[in-house]
Amino acid sequence: MRPLNSVQKLGLGLAAWLALISLLHGGLNLGWWSGKLAGAATQERYRVGFLPVTCHLTCPVTDFINKQTTGHGIFEPVRFSGWPELKEAFLAGYTPATFLLAPMAMALREQGVPIKIVYLGHRDGSAVVVHKDSQIHRMQDLRGKRVAVPNRYSNQRLLIFRALNDAGMTTADIQLVEMPPPDMPAALYAKAVDAISSGEPFMGQAELDGYGRVLWLTKDVWPNFISCVLAVHEDMIENHRETVQELVDGIAKSGKWLDQSMDHRMDAAQFVAKGYYNQHPRLLEFVLSKPPDRVKYTNLSLRRADFEEIEKLGQQAGILKGTARFEDYTDTSFVPDDSVIKAHDWPGLPKEKR
Amino acid sequence: MSASPSRAGIGQGRLAAFALPIGTIALLLVGWHVAVVASGSDLFPKPLDVLAGLVELVEKGLLLKYVVASLFRVTWGFGLAVLVGVPLGLVLGWWRPAFLALNPVIQALRPISPIAWIPVAILWFGIADAAPIFLIFLASVFPITVSSMAGVQNMQQVYLRAAQNFGMRGVPLFRRVILPAALPQILTGIRIALGVAWLVVVAAEMIAVNSGLGYLIIDARNAGKRYDLVVAGMVMIGSIGLVLDLLVRRLERIDSVRWGYGQR
Amino acid sequence: MANADPIVDVADLWMSFPGKQPDQPVHVLERVGLQVRHGEFVCIVGPSGCGKSTLLNVLGGFLGETRGTARVEGAPVRGPDPGRIFVFQENGVFPWLTVEQNVGFGLWQRSAAERDERVRHYIAMVGLQGFERSYPRELSGGMRQRVEIARALAANARVLFMDEPFGALDFLTRLKMRQDLVRIWQSENKTVLFVTHDIEEAVQLADRVLVMSKRPATIQAEVVIDLPRPRDLDSPGYLAARDRIFSIMGMDAHGGGVS
Ligand SMILES: Nc1ncnc2c1ncn2[C@@H]1O[C@H](COP(=O)(O)OP(=O)(O)OP(=O)(O)O)[C@@H](O)[C@H]1O
Ligand SMILES: [Mg+2]
Repeated sequence: MRPLNSVQKLGLGLAAWLALISLLHGGLNLGWWSGKLAGAATQERYRVGFLPVTCHLTCPVTDFINKQTTGHGIFEPVRFSGWPELKEAFLAGYTPATFLLAPMAMALREQGVPIKIVYLGHRDGSAVVVHKDSQIHRMQDLRGKRVAVPNRYSNQRLLIFRALNDAGMTTADIQLVEMPPPDMPAALYAKAVDAISSGEPFMGQAELDGYGRVLWLTKDVWPNFISCVLAVHEDMIENHRETVQELVDGIAKSGKWLDQSMDHRMDAAQFVAKGYYNQHPRLLEFVLSKPPDRVKYTNLSLRRADFEEIEKLGQQAGILKGTARFEDYTDTSFVPDDSVIKAHDWPGLPKEKR
Repeated sequence: MSASPSRAGIGQGRLAAFALPIGTIALLLVGWHVAVVASGSDLFPKPLDVLAGLVELVEKGLLLKYVVASLFRVTWGFGLAVLVGVPLGLVLGWWRPAFLALNPVIQALRPISPIAWIPVAILWFGIADAAPIFLIFLASVFPITVSSMAGVQNMQQVYLRAAQNFGMRGVPLFRRVILPAALPQILTGIRIALGVAWLVVVAAEMIAVNSGLGYLIIDARNAGKRYDLVVAGMVMIGSIGLVLDLLVRRLERIDSVRWGYGQR
Repeated sequence: MANADPIVDVADLWMSFPGKQPDQPVHVLERVGLQVRHGEFVCIVGPSGCGKSTLLNVLGGFLGETRGTARVEGAPVRGPDPGRIFVFQENGVFPWLTVEQNVGFGLWQRSAAERDERVRHYIAMVGLQGFERSYPRELSGGMRQRVEIARALAANARVLFMDEPFGALDFLTRLKMRQDLVRIWQSENKTVLFVTHDIEEAVQLADRVLVMSKRPATIQAEVVIDLPRPRDLDSPGYLAARDRIFSIMGMDAHGGGVS
């Protein structure tokens, strides 16, 4: 054989690199050789989208407990980093079910996207946090100040609207900015904004790190506040009713389990922080316990009055037109009877793992 | 043998080639440390915190995983961009109707940031590897196409005339004259595009993929006060980018393209 | 010289380039007429910028004439032809190929053995042994010019159009290249049309010298050099021919004008 010239060497090198990096990626990140065969899906797994926030806690909790008790889950939780990506994957049908901001789900329905809200994800679990050195102690003190909310379709924005209404103010009195929740603590620390508002644990983080002070928690302004719901594509409802039911039941049981005892919550903080959210467990422990009713996971059935309140505020905020009604954007048929539903029969993590 | 002055000069040059950049980096690190200490805040990490973050990533086995994932996506996205961009650029540079038909479209698509394509990528390709690969492809295919096109258009006419004089046309003309004549400029485009591809990896991995250096940064932001990991991700992206650039620069020393880069 | 038909036959050739203003074209050639017979060696001289390269490019098939006819080997020129090789004034050596790859370029359709044989022969002829594997950027300007000449000769064309091929060479190499060119021309029965700005060179090489006028250029005069080869550069016939061309071009050979 003739010795290779430089172009042939280059071509061979590139081909070798392509093979090497693809095999490494397959092995390290895609689990080509490990999990694939063992978990060879006899059953199709449905992806459920979520964000690493406490509002979506029941999603990983259900998955984890399913795996502990039955060995596998029929759901594959898919974690996103931001609302837009989560929404787009849901629209594309890549995730047939997802945890979603309630007003966003309602707006999508108004825009003709065939989805339904089938259950709630939680109640409460938001706050408005200001810098601890600031002179802001009441809603009125926010006049002229800059307030960060996660998204125009977020319930936190509606929450601000409601608090403004209660204080006899309007949005003209404050400056609202949109900001991804993970960036909020740093923005507050740097005093780039005067107040921040999003789902936990980011509010708790500012508090825990010593520069944030809670102005009020949702339960103080809007008791039984809903921010995130479980939304499902209509074709899932038509073709896979039992699957949707199983998902809803799982979430209901997880909610009961979480609210059953503080031990359970601390367990969840451990396994969710490490296995799903990649956060420090201390953060989740903090927001799940201080105070314990900061966020609640029971009483998750769909109530017309709650949504009509959102409709009203949504129209005031200019994100909803009011063309879709409760019957259009919800399907209450999956909601389990609250008195019948039982917490997961799982004692929690073994003691040594805590 | 006596040390000739020129030898000493070369030795000094080599030493300088190592000492100067390392000195700059050391200075920057010290400045960084001092600035963070002076600010009195522990939110932004010091260089040693970042090093500890890197060590933690190595211990968890994450660093290798993430680097592999990012390189995998850049390799495929960028490789596809080369496979599409070079032939497309050559055809556009050579065949005027193709240029007239496609150039406006290309010039209009070119300035669109890959970030703007994220929703499209998700809707078309879901959230696995295909979407970031698509974004990296988009970001790098245009510089490659445009430079290949310019390479053909700027080719010295005398090469073309000489080849045609020897009866060459069609595929041999393309392969043996037009491609090599344009190659230096193509390689320059490839170098720029590789830089862009690597740049876009962070944006591309903002999509729900769950690995990669871009993901590391996004994930660290979700994780509360882990800015040491954010900066660790930045450091890794920068270092690998440097290595990639050095590798592509070596391509420019291949004999059959060296003529295109002046006397160095 | 059995063939009576001229190899190159130009009649009333006009050529203009589009100028800066669209309605003001640059007239380069006007009413050019010339003929080159089979096996003849013809030189063209003329002031810089008068249109020598332009004329040759029309004959080589790289430029289309504006008006008139240019016929080569009995047919109107339609484009370049491997039987008629052009040596470019601006160096046309491919910088991405080595010396031997460049010299063998015109033989791309031949067998490797034949190619190697001819390449070796012509590299030796232009004195580039030892540089076979070098790239053009590693050569001097004169060496590159020799590569181009070797490439043109190796292709074994019937007609050679040479545009100031020896312009970049040193005096001695130039003398040697002239001898070699004349030898090849004589032994291989080629027709050569050779542009130069060097009147001495034209007189040493040519059967006939065509003198072009300033732009817009036409063929101003024809000087037949009927001297035996190899030419004696001190012979009265040589000196007379040279002085005649000088005076046609409006200069005195001894007065220090530009050559
Ligand atoms: N492509 C072109 N477009 C416009 N004008 C041109 C073009 N090529 C040549 N010319 C003009 O035509 C004239 C003749 O050019 P040409 O190259 O034929 O001169 P030349 O006689 O070969 O000169 P030299 O001895 O300096 O090589 C010049 O005035 C030049 O400006
Ligand atoms: Mg010329």
